Amino acid sequence: MRLTRTKAAVAGLGLALSLVACGDAGDDESAGVDVEVQEDAGSEFDDGTRMKELADSGEVIIGVKFDQPGIGFKGATDDMPVGFDPELGKVLAASLGIAPEDITWTETISDNREPFLQSGEVDLVLASYSITDERRAVVGQAGPYYVTGQQLLVASDSDIDSLDDVKGTEVCSVTGSTSLENIEAEGATPRGFDTYSECVDQVLSGAVDAMTTDGAILLGYAAEHPDELKVVVEPFSEERYGVGYSLDHPEMCQWIVDTLTAAQEDGTWEEAFAATLGASGVETPEPPAMDECPAA
Amino acid sequence: MELVLSNFDLYLSAFRLTIGLFLVSAVGSLLLGTLLAAMRVGPIAFMSKAATVYITVVRNTPLLIIFVFVIIGLPKLGILFRSVEELGISSFFFRACLALTLYTSTFVAEAIRSGINAVPLGQAEAARAIGLTFGGTMTQVVLPQAFRATVPPLASVFIALLKNTSVAYAFGILEATARMKYFTNISGNDLPIFLIFAAGYVVLVEIISFGANRLERRWRVAR
Amino acid sequence: MTVSDTATSDNPHQPGTDDPLVVLDHVDKHFGDLHVLRDINVSIRRGEVVVVIGPSGSGKSTLCRTINRLETIDGGTISLNGVPLPEEGKELAALRAEVGMVFQSFNLFAHKTILENVTLGLTKVRKTPKKSADEAAMRQLKRVGVAEQAGKYPAQLSGGQQQRVAIARALAMEPQLMLFDEPTSALDPEMIKEVLDVMVGLAKPEQGEPMTMVVVTHEMGFARTAADRVLFMADGQIVEENTPEEFFTNPRSDRAKDFLGKILKH
Repeated sequence: MRLTRTKAAVAGLGLALSLVACGDAGDDESAGVDVEVQEDAGSEFDDGTRMKELADSGEVIIGVKFDQPGIGFKGATDDMPVGFDPELGKVLAASLGIAPEDITWTETISDNREPFLQSGEVDLVLASYSITDERRAVVGQAGPYYVTGQQLLVASDSDIDSLDDVKGTEVCSVTGSTSLENIEAEGATPRGFDTYSECVDQVLSGAVDAMTTDGAILLGYAAEHPDELKVVVEPFSEERYGVGYSLDHPEMCQWIVDTLTAAQEDGTWEEAFAATLGASGVETPEPPAMDECPAA
Repeated sequence: MELVLSNFDLYLSAFRLTIGLFLVSAVGSLLLGTLLAAMRVGPIAFMSKAATVYITVVRNTPLLIIFVFVIIGLPKLGILFRSVEELGISSFFFRACLALTLYTSTFVAEAIRSGINAVPLGQAEAARAIGLTFGGTMTQVVLPQAFRATVPPLASVFIALLKNTSVAYAFGILEATARMKYFTNISGNDLPIFLIFAAGYVVLVEIISFGANRLERRWRVAR
Repeated sequence: MTVSDTATSDNPHQPGTDDPLVVLDHVDKHFGDLHVLRDINVSIRRGEVVVVIGPSGSGKSTLCRTINRLETIDGGTISLNGVPLPEEGKELAALRAEVGMVFQSFNLFAHKTILENVTLGLTKVRKTPKKSADEAAMRQLKRVGVAEQAGKYPAQLSGGQQQRVAIARALAMEPQLMLFDEPTSALDPEMIKEVLDVMVGLAKPEQGEPMTMVVVTHEMGFARTAADRVLFMADGQIVEENTPEEFFTNPRSDRAKDFLGKILKH
């Protein structure tokens, strides 16, 4: 029953999302990741580690974006978020012996990711969470599990096709985002909006000349409006998505890196990508090599 | 904290934009609000009705919805106010000021209307008796006295306007609140950033309060 | 026909006979259920001083205020120089400039100086240049005896001074007619005389033409001294109309006898 409803909702969200499945995959051919839930996972971890606590409790809270098609998106009528980040969240949960349906998904927006991790409101954050030195000073970030770069989404008939062309134009993104600052540095007037969808509307109505953010998100919108929009310009920044965890539990880093490395090696990572970000037509890239965890 | 201090020019330019939004919208609201108040108390039934309907509808609509209407809705109908760009004004700034003015003018109108009601009826009668028209009666006799009675409520309206400029942060304007989001987004420690931006708003509000007090004292009407 | 039925035929100022300035013809007015003016017919000559008296609530103030249309009427017509009063608008404003009005509560513009109170109508309605408006205003202020107060604000003046300024404000427009709506009722007793003196000076000038005046008042002494005609109103009607001499010594109606009996005993 739940599956049917989820499929119906997803179908309405357009091409970018249409291939994304919900958690209890296997009986659905357009499934994302078919995770193998580790049995008796508690015994795998040392006493006193956060992983053991989570495995024993059988519950984990993961913060994801709800508003980024392809990365982390939850429609108003959906039960679960869909996207690349939630898929990897399921992989991490499975290694703790927690089934996808037992994960509690919480929406984290750009502003509350650090506070949520610090206060323990969420155990993990997978929310297009770019690794930066400033953030690593206050929270842990394991990864990168995915590397993307900033591009431009413009109207199909736009003259903009190189980064030099944005000088003097108006370019929108989400208020306060790094993408907006990067484009300002390129000489464009930054126009911040609350959500990506409002920003896309501005491009469609001609109020701004372009939208900018991570290429993966832009491809999702271009796929929704193939006649009106196109993605241009080679990626001109490097965003390295990491998994956020609390610095109170530094032992989680190595576990995250090990679990995701295994997923990269056994094809789960590619599978997750193909089912989510890959749906917009980009080729599945080589998984990135992850940073060493800081010495405890 | 150091992040803001080492980028203090960004902090200042963001507040400059906040002040710009405030000043333009304050002047616009004062003009439109006065016109609405005059229409509302005026002798022409149709104008009075129109002003009443406008005030009722807009005053009871959340500012955010007015912003969505002006900045997201109107462009979908092809209304972008691009012509103001020929005057060197960005259409985003213009539309943000328009949204703030449409909204704030209703509060200004009601404050002025209460000020008009506080002017004794005899003042308007005396003005009409010497041959002033409705317009002359309003501009020469009633409104100057109404404004004096209106300074304290108008100060509240304008303090609210100053803080309401922050709604523009989500509509393409890089004012103080948007800049704060930028800083909190790249920093891990948000609290000092909130405080230093809150301080900026407090200083501006205090300036408005101080100005209102001065005006109130200078304009006090002896009766 | 312009005089009400109770009027005497030997009225020395029989109105309507030559060039009336103001004519009220079958004027009716209601305030809700209250019939405040009932079939009022009055004609006022140029230079005539008409005093309207009557008990409170008789409609005398309302009558006064209808003449420059500060109160609208429900029936009949009011005409000035033979032209009916226009609807609210520029024309009516222009006409009001020809009719000076003095209120019970002075109604000086509280935010303007004494001089500005007097010049406002000149500069904004008559479009007189500021310099000559100031000169004309000072002449009128001198005439009513408050010239030395020109720079002050109304609240700094006594009631009597304020009312004299109000008279000067009306006179500065050089009106054809002056309406006085109980001009001394809000004054302390010691200030009444200074205002009445100014009004008598207008009604019986030592030189020049007398001003046409309609005065609603309780000051019987003023009525005796200055009025050409007294209208006695009760219950929205003009009950009696006569010379002051005749009216005060020989009132005809019971209402007038009763009223005079009450106020003259004190």
